[in-house]
Amino acid sequence: MTTREVRTGVYICHCGTNIAGTVDVAAVSRYASQLDSVVVARDYRFMCSEPGQEMIKRDIKELGLNRVVVASCSPKMHEPTFRKACEQAGLNRHLFQMANIREHCSWVTSDREEATEKAKALVRAAVRRVFYHEPLEIREVPVNPNTLVVGGGIAGIQAALQIANSRHKVYLVEREPSIGGHMIQMDKTFPTLDCSACILTPHMSELGSHPYIELFTYSEVEEVSGYVGNFKARIRKKARYVDEQKCTGCGVCQEKCPWKVPSEFEMGLGQRKVIYTPFPQAVPNVPVIDRENCIYFQKGKCRACEKFCEAGAINFNDEDKLIEVEVGNVIIATGFQNFDPSLAAQYGYGKFDDIITGLQFERLCNATGPTAGNIQLKDGSVPRSVAIVHCVGSRDEEFHDYCSRVCCMYALKHSHLIKERTDAQVYQIFTDIRCFGKDYEDFYERLAGEGVNFVRGKVKRVASADGKGLDQGKLMITAEDPDNGKVSQVFADMVILCAAIEPRQDTDKVARIFSVNCKADGFFLERHPKLDPVATMTDGIYVVGCCQGPKDIPDTVSQASAAAAKILAVVTKGKVELEASTAVIDEVLCSGCRICNLLCPYNAISFDAEKKVSNINEALCKGCGTCVAACPSRAITHRHFTTEEIMAEIEGVLV
Amino acid sequence: MDMELIQQIRGKARSLLEEGTVEGVIGYERAGDGVTSRPLFAYDSSAAERLIFDDTCTHNLVKYLLGKRGKKMAVMVKPCDSRAINLLLNERQIDRDKVFIIGVGCPGVVETEWNHKSETLQARCRSCLLTKPLVYDVLLGRELARKAEEETYSDILEAEAESVVSRREFWREQFSRCIRCYACRQVCPGCYCPVCFAEQLEPLWVGIRIAPEENTLWQTIRTFHLAGRCIGCNECERVCPVDIPLSLLNRKLEKDVKELFAFQAGLDPEEPPPFATFRKEEMPELGE
Repeated sequence: MTTREVRTGVYICHCGTNIAGTVDVAAVSRYASQLDSVVVARDYRFMCSEPGQEMIKRDIKELGLNRVVVASCSPKMHEPTFRKACEQAGLNRHLFQMANIREHCSWVTSDREEATEKAKALVRAAVRRVFYHEPLEIREVPVNPNTLVVGGGIAGIQAALQIANSRHKVYLVEREPSIGGHMIQMDKTFPTLDCSACILTPHMSELGSHPYIELFTYSEVEEVSGYVGNFKARIRKKARYVDEQKCTGCGVCQEKCPWKVPSEFEMGLGQRKVIYTPFPQAVPNVPVIDRENCIYFQKGKCRACEKFCEAGAINFNDEDKLIEVEVGNVIIATGFQNFDPSLAAQYGYGKFDDIITGLQFERLCNATGPTAGNIQLKDGSVPRSVAIVHCVGSRDEEFHDYCSRVCCMYALKHSHLIKERTDAQVYQIFTDIRCFGKDYEDFYERLAGEGVNFVRGKVKRVASADGKGLDQGKLMITAEDPDNGKVSQVFADMVILCAAIEPRQDTDKVARIFSVNCKADGFFLERHPKLDPVATMTDGIYVVGCCQGPKDIPDTVSQASAAAAKILAVVTKGKVELEASTAVIDEVLCSGCRICNLLCPYNAISFDAEKKVSNINEALCKGCGTCVAACPSRAITHRHFTTEEIMAEIEGVLV
Repeated sequence: MDMELIQQIRGKARSLLEEGTVEGVIGYERAGDGVTSRPLFAYDSSAAERLIFDDTCTHNLVKYLLGKRGKKMAVMVKPCDSRAINLLLNERQIDRDKVFIIGVGCPGVVETEWNHKSETLQARCRSCLLTKPLVYDVLLGRELARKAEEETYSDILEAEAESVVSRREFWREQFSRCIRCYACRQVCPGCYCPVCFAEQLEPLWVGIRIAPEENTLWQTIRTFHLAGRCIGCNECERVCPVDIPLSLLNRKLEKDVKELFAFQAGLDPEEPPPFATFRKEEMPELGE
């Protein structure tokens, strides 16, 4: 570029009166026309309009411009617009620079003189900077049409089915022996009160037999490498000790297994066998042997399951298998875990009987649950009073500041189910009732009319009411109104704690594997909270459902569909554009200290042990600049943010 | 001179060379004045017979490992010098399995000049708390119980109390003597960039003119590049031909880094350096 004369065009936008109201745009334009390398400077009412863009295109062609500066709004807003205009006139999009004289200038002062001076300085900086710009090549890479979905809850199921129904391959990886997630544990869903399993199981079985879905249950993703369109994932399929091809799902092994342990699916309220499927409708309907508790594995005797299995499906020599898959996109749908209420001593969880979590209650009132749907206390009797405590671990400075969003509604649902099946008094101990969703307010009105007692307060203590006469054997809940400090006491036989939705314990590890970020509250961070809520900063990796933040089933399903649609758009297009403004390492200057390797948030930098220098994978680099700033030897250059460009810009502002 | 220790060192060097464990041994020998010492590169067992160790052995020999990358070398390391080993391991400049570290117990090093040895311990030795090297393959000589004075940074605190104007005057005077010989850089175990900023022409970070402004810029950038990395061997100040008190600058930054990040360079070969890490608690004003 240095051999060719630099010819710059400068365009000052009025933005109606947004800029022109405060900045003397004509004066800025006159000033710009005298700057070195500037061939033409114009001002116009709306540069982003069709005629505004045409003006730029015409000048590029007629005046032979090879640099363009537009002084207008934030580049976040219209940089793509003007870059496109340049490209349409045959100019590389990176030979363009934008000066923000609205947000950084006219909107921050009403002083016309100062605003005009600052606008001149910003234009001067942009003109000096653009002088050093170089055309960057825009590269495209083909997209592998397969998708990896991680997590087989409602989010993963929805996304997988939607993509697979377009006849594109999906690999679904689920950690547990069956898909279904938390939703399959639930009894009824609010606000419609339809049966959770009834609406979910058809999707589960469709998924299980779908020709375009390969299901890996009892499996985990261990490693992901590559970049958008071209990821490689390593999946560890844990030893099941039951041959999935041979097993007919008859269930005899579970019947004959003599050993029982508390069931995770029943939240510890019931028991399961050591060879088990977590629940009857499991997909796949193939049991696993829980090696830790299996007497054969621990003591070398038993093999009852093997003896009775007619299909000969039991294989005690089964081993973990590692499987590599190649995919173009990844959906993370790893869900949530419940806050452990025993961490907050005031709730008495684990200390007294008949204090259970909301999810435990779902199992308790489920017809397939441990009590066949009878709401009962530990001693088998029917409770005469039940207290439902909201915000356990949520909206609580000590644990999670955020609202878990679903508790108010399921607490109302629980009170309805209790009223329907028992004569118990129900108390809702709440801080605020939040009915944000469609038809939720109606649901609240309806249930409020069913004779539920609403008590406002944050629970301070749950204790035994023994020695208080009539309330013998009951639990005493003390709550304090957060606004007026009024203290209430409620006596109940059963307490249901609405435990917070929280990020899974291994979220950090998962984030590292997939190169995504977490917010301070631990949930995965989306690219933009409003305009790009399911994408992440890593292209081709999407987050949906509760792993991105607490949400209800409709929102989860919407997100899953959104991610599927976004992925199908990319798959249909068949190729993706790579960031051109990447970092590049000068091998001569690199001292091989590897500081950049560790800092790169996208795992884009590797170390070449032969040459003893670091290398940047340009397909992975997002141009964040972290390595450029950190390099102690200044061996890394950031294309489009070179030292010359930045220095020229700074000098332009200062002189 | 502790002849017993010297015999041990020579014996060790000899066996390392004869058994082919290393290609060479970097140690000390008597200098031409018969009083002070200088570095020795011994590549055969006869050269190993010239090895010595006493309180004149001031050089930080770790620097020389950078020029022998890829070769298996043995190096004599005093407790203070061992921090340079950790620094270079931390910054991946040397491979641990390529270096055989002969740790030596050190009674402290005295101020010397050509043909003359004083009785005064060097200032850095007076506040040295290390009784033996932090890392070694063999430790020769005794581990010494030291009665060091606590590092109080009293001179730094005094300098900080001065006004900006008087500090500027002080350093202007000091830097005006700098002849930009870069001896301070050449001797520093932390200075190993393949191309130093002082020699880059595009962009020209610091002008080549030898004048107070450019000299100040050179010394300022050099010092900052050692922030959180200087291991306090003070070789830069020792070799400065115009006696610029560089330790004042290095120790000021050492003190700041210690206060801000609770970090001292060269103590741990694995702990990530503060300027290559970010922890939220370092900036409470950012909030959650």
